[in-house]
Amino acid sequence: MSRYTPVVDTALDRMREMVRGNFDLRWMDANPAGWGHAATPGPAGLRLRDVETGYYGRVPEDGSAHGSMAPRGCAVPPGTRSLGMYTLNEKSEVWAENAGLLYDEAVVRQWNSVTDVPWDRLEKLPDDLEKAVCQLCTNLAEVEFVAGDMPAKWLCRINHDFHEVKLFLASQIMDEARHLDVFRKRALANGGGLMMASPGQEELLAAILEAPDYTTASALMHIFGEGFVLTLFRQGEFLAPTEVEKTIFRLCMQDEARHVAYGVKHLQYFLERHPDRAEQVHEILDVGEQAIFALTLEPQTSEPRAILAGGGLENIQLGMARLAFIYAKQVREYLRRLQIAGLDREPRLTIPKEISIDDLAA
Amino acid sequence: MTGAIFPSTAWFRALARRMKQDEPAYRALGPVDCTMVVRIDTPAGPDLYEVVFERYAVRSIRRLARLEDAAPGHFVLEAPLETWREMIENIRDNAGPDLRHTLNYLTFPDVPMRVTGPDQLEVDAFYRYNESLQRFFNGAADVPTAYAAPAARATEDVCRPS
Repeated sequence: MSRYTPVVDTALDRMREMVRGNFDLRWMDANPAGWGHAATPGPAGLRLRDVETGYYGRVPEDGSAHGSMAPRGCAVPPGTRSLGMYTLNEKSEVWAENAGLLYDEAVVRQWNSVTDVPWDRLEKLPDDLEKAVCQLCTNLAEVEFVAGDMPAKWLCRINHDFHEVKLFLASQIMDEARHLDVFRKRALANGGGLMMASPGQEELLAAILEAPDYTTASALMHIFGEGFVLTLFRQGEFLAPTEVEKTIFRLCMQDEARHVAYGVKHLQYFLERHPDRAEQVHEILDVGEQAIFALTLEPQTSEPRAILAGGGLENIQLGMARLAFIYAKQVREYLRRLQIAGLDREPRLTIPKEISIDDLAA
Repeated sequence: MTGAIFPSTAWFRALARRMKQDEPAYRALGPVDCTMVVRIDTPAGPDLYEVVFERYAVRSIRRLARLEDAAPGHFVLEAPLETWREMIENIRDNAGPDLRHTLNYLTFPDVPMRVTGPDQLEVDAFYRYNESLQRFFNGAADVPTAYAAPAARATEDVCRPS
């Protein structure tokens, strides 16, 4: 009786055959349709879209039914087990025409918080400014990684045939890890520290993570949330007291714009095929708009930005007036992006398009 | 380094040459694929230049007669001549912009510089490639620049619709 399991015994028998020169070699001819493919690297190198052509560039409307991680375009032997994980099997549920392009761009435009930020140029700031910077960084360290957790939640549910989307989302998770990391570092690096968490932000994060399907989650996070944060990053660069913060916000801004670009193109692709689902997207945006507007009630969210916008605690009211301008910009760009995606949001908008400080003061 | 008059195609070509010489630094930032229209508002009217970026270089530069002649997918960076001049001089004085003369600083409040475009995603390209675009203009540090009167610029070739 063998001391091994049947699996090991079978493998040993097979090895004996190979030692005798009896090889299978059927794999060499298993995928004739996929053989003979070539790609030429361009000046930017060999991009995903350079190899995803012809036979390999055909992305099915419905992901393969075998349910395995076999890469799109290979031969899948009969009997290959399904992992039973994929629930997003329809292309339109995840696809964006720019996903491969954005992945290529993401992997080449990576940066790191260890050496790409000129940390040696940090300067001691007045207490009010340092506290405002640290509170802003606390807020961002809290909110940023939802854009890592949300794709992580859905990644293992996306059919493996849509690998362009999976790769892009994986790059986004890395981007968000870097954002969490860099804002935490900034808060801890200059004599300050982490400040107060934001219960209000958690409402928005919950809405993103609990969204009923991937597309509504993406609309809420990629277009609404990251679009607003993109403007916040631009504001951060504008208000930055030193070259350190300026560099951080500029680098983060680039990443965020890629995520927004995916979100807009995905929603566009989805709504072209499912115009009847626009109402569901509107409904999740209703929730997001209310959650983000409620954030203005939180002192730890709005006041540090007003201090930075005013240039100090003594000018916090001036800073509030400047924030009104930024808010209008955020809403304007949000509506324009949705317009490109095919969603006319303006008539449904549940928050003011702009806030008049004069009216509030009256 | 040879000097050039701002604004002119020669001036933008000088920056494009700097970009080519500095390619390793641009490679570190990643490829840039977008079309930027630079609009300079002068007393004689707007002066328009289209700069097409492809990967790590400038693919083409042309002066435009009208904004409508620009490639469809573009964003516009617009400011009065005095603002452009101040930004360029600041870059030259400091070998790069100080905190108050970066492209984002100047454009964020929509004054004194503005970024616009027919399509928000094209405007977003300005944010997406911001480090590369900033470095492109930082090349002005090595380009001795003179500023011409509007009448002098009018003699330069303008790309008109065929």
